[in-house]
Amino acid sequence: MKAFLPIHEPRILLKFFTTFIVLFCQCFLALADIEIGGQVTDEDNGAGLPGVSIFIKGTSRGTVTDVNGDYTIRVPDGNATLVFSFVGYQSKEEVVGSRTSIDVVLSTDVRALEAVIVVGYGTQQRAEVTGAIASISAEQIRDIPVVSFENALQGKVAGVNVSLPSGEPGAAPQIRVRGTGSISAGNDPLYVIDGLPISRNTNLQTGVSQRRSSFSVPKQNPLAALNPNNIASIEVLKDASSAAIYGSRGSNGVVLITTKKGERDGGTQVSFNAYSGIQTVTNAPDLMNSEELIAYTNDSRNNNYLQTYDPLNPASEDYNPQYNPETNAGRPNIDFILIPDKYVNWDGTDTDWLDQIFDPGSIASYNLSLGGGSERFSYYLSGGYYNEKGVVEGSEFDRYTLKTNLTSNLTETLEIGANLNLAFSDNNRLPVNAPYFAQPPGIVYAAMVHSPVIKPYNEDGTPNQTDNQSFLLGGTTTADNPLAIIEAVDESIQNYRTFGNVYAQLTFLEDFTFKTYVGLDIDSYQQSFYRGNSLLYRGASQGDPYGQSSGSLGVNWLWENTLNYAKTIGDHHINGIIGYTAQKQRDELSLVIAQSFPDDQVKTISGGIVTGGNSLQEEWSLASALARFNYSFKERYLLTASIRSDRSSRFGSSNQTGVFPSVSAGWRMSTEPFMADLTFINELKLRASYGVTGNFEIPNYGAIGLLSATNYVLNNQIVNGVGQITLTNENLSWETTRSLDIGLDVAFLDDRIYGSIDYYVSRTSDLLLNVTIPSSSGFETALTNIGEVENKGIEFSITSRNLTGAFQWSTDLNFAANKNKVLRLGPAGDPILSVGAAGLRHITRIGDPIGSYYGYVVDGIYQSQAEIDAAPTDELAPDPQPGDIRFKDVNGDGTITSDDRTVTGSYFPDFTYGITNRFRYKQFDLSVFIQGVEGREVLNLTQRHLLNGEANFNSYAIMNERWISAENPGNGELPRADRNSAIHGNNFRESSFQVEDGSYLRLRNVTLGYNFPAISKFISQLRVYVSGTNLFMKTDYLGFNPEVNLQPDNSLTPGEDYGAYPLAKIYTLGVDISF
Amino acid sequence: MKKYTSFIYFIILLTACSEDFTQLSPISQRNVGNFFSNAADFEIAVDGAYDGLQLDGTYGRTYLLLMEMRSDNANNAGGQSGLSASMEEIDQFREIATATELQTAWSDSYEAIARCNAILTQIEGVDFDQEQKDQFMGETLFIRSLLYYNLAVVYGNVPLQLSIVSNPEEIEIDQVTSEAIYTQIIGDLTTAMELLPAGYTGEDIGRATSGSAAALLGKVYLTTGNYAEAETTLRGLVNTQEYSLLPNYADLWGAANENNAESVFEIQYKGGGQGEGSGYFEYFAQQLGRSGGVGGGNTPMGVTDDLIAAYEPGDLRFDATIFTNGDDTTYVKKYISEQITPFDGENNWVVIRYADVLLMLAEALGETPESYDLINQVRARAGLPAISAATAGTFEEKLLHERRVELAFENQRWTDLLRFGMAPDMMAEQLDIPESQVSLIYPIPQREIDVASGQLLQNP
Repeated sequence: MKAFLPIHEPRILLKFFTTFIVLFCQCFLALADIEIGGQVTDEDNGAGLPGVSIFIKGTSRGTVTDVNGDYTIRVPDGNATLVFSFVGYQSKEEVVGSRTSIDVVLSTDVRALEAVIVVGYGTQQRAEVTGAIASISAEQIRDIPVVSFENALQGKVAGVNVSLPSGEPGAAPQIRVRGTGSISAGNDPLYVIDGLPISRNTNLQTGVSQRRSSFSVPKQNPLAALNPNNIASIEVLKDASSAAIYGSRGSNGVVLITTKKGERDGGTQVSFNAYSGIQTVTNAPDLMNSEELIAYTNDSRNNNYLQTYDPLNPASEDYNPQYNPETNAGRPNIDFILIPDKYVNWDGTDTDWLDQIFDPGSIASYNLSLGGGSERFSYYLSGGYYNEKGVVEGSEFDRYTLKTNLTSNLTETLEIGANLNLAFSDNNRLPVNAPYFAQPPGIVYAAMVHSPVIKPYNEDGTPNQTDNQSFLLGGTTTADNPLAIIEAVDESIQNYRTFGNVYAQLTFLEDFTFKTYVGLDIDSYQQSFYRGNSLLYRGASQGDPYGQSSGSLGVNWLWENTLNYAKTIGDHHINGIIGYTAQKQRDELSLVIAQSFPDDQVKTISGGIVTGGNSLQEEWSLASALARFNYSFKERYLLTASIRSDRSSRFGSSNQTGVFPSVSAGWRMSTEPFMADLTFINELKLRASYGVTGNFEIPNYGAIGLLSATNYVLNNQIVNGVGQITLTNENLSWETTRSLDIGLDVAFLDDRIYGSIDYYVSRTSDLLLNVTIPSSSGFETALTNIGEVENKGIEFSITSRNLTGAFQWSTDLNFAANKNKVLRLGPAGDPILSVGAAGLRHITRIGDPIGSYYGYVVDGIYQSQAEIDAAPTDELAPDPQPGDIRFKDVNGDGTITSDDRTVTGSYFPDFTYGITNRFRYKQFDLSVFIQGVEGREVLNLTQRHLLNGEANFNSYAIMNERWISAENPGNGELPRADRNSAIHGNNFRESSFQVEDGSYLRLRNVTLGYNFPAISKFISQLRVYVSGTNLFMKTDYLGFNPEVNLQPDNSLTPGEDYGAYPLAKIYTLGVDISF
Repeated sequence: MKKYTSFIYFIILLTACSEDFTQLSPISQRNVGNFFSNAADFEIAVDGAYDGLQLDGTYGRTYLLLMEMRSDNANNAGGQSGLSASMEEIDQFREIATATELQTAWSDSYEAIARCNAILTQIEGVDFDQEQKDQFMGETLFIRSLLYYNLAVVYGNVPLQLSIVSNPEEIEIDQVTSEAIYTQIIGDLTTAMELLPAGYTGEDIGRATSGSAAALLGKVYLTTGNYAEAETTLRGLVNTQEYSLLPNYADLWGAANENNAESVFEIQYKGGGQGEGSGYFEYFAQQLGRSGGVGGGNTPMGVTDDLIAAYEPGDLRFDATIFTNGDDTTYVKKYISEQITPFDGENNWVVIRYADVLLMLAEALGETPESYDLINQVRARAGLPAISAATAGTFEEKLLHERRVELAFENQRWTDLLRFGMAPDMMAEQLDIPESQVSLIYPIPQREIDVASGQLLQNP
């Protein structure tokens, strides 16, 4: 797919921008009359501060300080006000008056507690917050080159667990705030962008009908429509008290995003931010080469031969005097015994298949913004372009964004505003998130299993498909040449999204503010898929062309009216809000399928014969009333109470309205007189909150019984009849989360160190489950609110300014531990056994985390026949031999049966952490960000093929350390090779063997920047930087990515690796310029 | 300032959304939210309720297994292992509560009852032509009564769910006795008799008539031992002269003879690969059938020697009912069909026909000359001489015998044996099992007991 705009070429783009900027700046040039000079110094050490920007308030004229902190500027007259600002310092304003020399001392801006943060339907002083709210500024996430802001949040916020299961450009990450609360409903947090609750709504992306849903490409990130460069701040409402104002949508946490707007009286700020870089595959697994695979294959055939036929025994009827472990001499003509001919007569080919499919990709982002304003007006305009080419050739993501944000005071009391975001993205995708046998096959997986003795290309340069593994004979399994898959499959998704709002806000009777707000979100996808004739699926002699085209449109509107009251009377401060909102979403999807394409000339539906189609429309609506009341006394005792009632079409008719109250309180002990002497403590606040929130992510029409055709015959003619097929449940409702949070905020040593610690328990009840009901109802199952899950944990974050002065060093540290436990399930409490991508391997049962891994437990390797004889009988292993896996008799009944399956691990980590160290010396800045996850297990299903001992595929190189004999037992953890393990030791049944430690520590990002001192009076700031992302990872995980999760939207089967798009290591070079 | 206040007041009024705002129904799927709003919807729903009688767990298959095959007319000919194992157990009075047939009959009967309940609960609230409404209510009451009658016969003590379930809490779990079921359906059928027309023409042929309701009501009265009411009801039906015996017994069967003058109620089927065909050919004449499978898929029923021996010499009904070469080939001829695809037969299932009505009237009257007249009407068509009080055997024995050969393989025998109190005796003798093993009702399906957490009691 070619780009839609000519500015695809970065150089042209740059030229365009530069010309524009030069022209623009010239407009603002004017002669000035008075020259002012002076020095800007740092309050901490008195040293001159370089790079401080100085401008004349209400204009765009300005300059920056030089290396010594000195500056000169011309001002029109003595009425001018100079504004001094520098990142990390508090801004200062000076009226010129009659002075010609103005020296300014700037103090560091670490008083985080004085900052104003965004909360639901308002803002609040950080110091007065009584809930658990994490606040992230644009600064904190700017270093990592990302398509969407969530990717950059990884490891930055305690309690917000971001996983990147796929490295495909544009793929959606998985976000969980304080664990997973729901089994069958959604677990994504609510996103609120500038007050507009945005539906993540990945349902608008249709799957490919012929492909198993578990093998779909990952959903494109719907939030990628928001250019991260336009974000000013992000707040995460983690506890129920802060999220309860969002009622039935609050229980998975709420992410509030505030986009940038122009500063009033701030002159004009023009910024250009760009970076460009390369990316390469990271953490690629070590696979066998030809020699190793041949030895392993021989071993597996020989072991099967020796065990089944006893050919070395002269007394045996299958005695083979010619027996040679490396040839087929005298062997019976049986696949699992014969060694493939290409191995016996190896021609020296040693293809590195991973090397064949991976190519360095690229990443680039260009963003130009213009912001500013006058006393009564502000504006912010920006345009951005982002391009990413993935590490597997052919995957690419392009995005174009435009934004405007305007505010204006029509009168002293009436403010209006409009905020509009436009985004178009074009995403070429590849079938990677799937195993080698999927339709179409997974490219990376096909490369992993492919035998290195095969040549990748035919002599004519086409991908070698006929001579694939199936032609090796001898019981190797057929897999497609990954290069042929890349060539034959075309899949693309285009997204056009517009969202924004307009509002009017009226202040009256001094303390009252009324705001009416209308938001709109239009989200549309076009998708196409084509699998060409050229792909010979797993040894097929001809292709099976298949094409699909689909489109969707989602429209969401919101109308919101709020009335705010704020008043300070003496020591009492009161703030209250009441509001009424209505929101509605309508989705439409349609899809057409074509087959029988005669050739691959025309790849759209018109090239084939239409064989199917479908269309679907759905709606939901939500009408809510909300109220919140804040009270503080002497800024010492803080109380907040909120309530929201939500009436939604998703809820059953007799249970349509849910009420979600919350209360929280804070005590700023540091303001008590008795603490006055403890001057090193600047802040000590104890807070506690309790609240009720809901999960609204239930099916649109789950409460309404559906009818289906039940035809009959009258007068020998068929007549239409209908009967109900699903039960109406008028009581169906949201899932309810009740949670308690206790936290402590501290700051000491002049705010040099500040942080928070929180403990929380949250219980989600009324879980939506399909339960068995008495059939006297006419139905056998019903979608019902039943069941309960608990998440509890602790989290803390701390920021420390270790060194200030010329050499600055600060550290941000965060840590979170969450424990997930199912408390209650259906009426009888029966566990839910779930089939993932490869059979029944997950269990959700009372007392364990949701979707725990389920199987047999490995108890070592049998070293001798005597050990086998002494062990409990394994009913699943017909004929175990030394070198086979010994499985554990979990229930101790003396035999190993299906009753010995148990929980073998969980995808939920024990804890997650992130550490950022920032250094600044003179013009240099450096940040080093490490992030990690501990105590997570991954269900590595790739082992079923790459570590199965049967050597019917290529294998992880670790299999070279397999059990060979009692004398040569390998690494003690891997069994012997055996082509027929299923009827011998049955080593590769579902067990803890496939459950791997998915803990990791990752050097997520290192960025080194240089801030140029004043180079021109037009350029107020110039920073260039180099950045490396995903530079290093420490993990024991065998595969590419320990964050892998084949089906991130299915809570019951988390953590499966069955082929995935790997993550990339990224090096970028970037520049930030402000004028 | 006042204008601002009124402006705000206006906005608040405007946004105070009506109830309708959050009452949305599926757009792309038919659903209860937007259905049941006019006469056409109810007509489709009533036809859907009739379809409930075709379900695998009702007359589609399982009722026949639980009654006709259970009786001494038929036996399980599908083998004793695999999918047929549970049928063999049913045939031999060894069934267990987890048998799939018991579950299917239960679930499907209630599924069909739920379709009826949906209509009966909502029809009063919708305004349309009263005559049409009466007919729909009458039909639905008849269908529901027929289903409850079968449930009462099969399980004895079952929950009586009479209204639509709109949330899981409304599910009726408590069992009532079969007497309570009969009381309910006597009331319902009496109403249905009044609401339903005497007959139909054209495209409505095949719907339940007031005669259908009366015939079933007569049977229920007989079952409860209320002979006086049974007589009144059945005599009333006979007096309408809507129905008559066909001259030739063999003409009762086959696709060409459906909905004939003798037919009081039939479940309608149509072959041709549209999902509306019947499987009776495969069930009763497996040796001719086109389906080679055995066991569950085929459900073959065999003819017992006992039944063959029961026919009097010269009974014309024998050849119309059974084929036997006296050796390895014996099958039921009533349901032979010319279908191309297995289980896609044209044949209807006759639930009640006029001969049954005449014999029921005789049963209600007891031993009187009129009763013998009624029996002899049926015998005459079979080419048999008249009987009278002087003929050997008790009146009950003679009547039961007549019913057996007249109505063989029409799913009457098991209920007849129960009504005449002959089941333990006959079945113990035929199967050579103790009478105590001949259970008259089936176990409640185990799943239902488990799900009801203690509220549903297993039958003794």
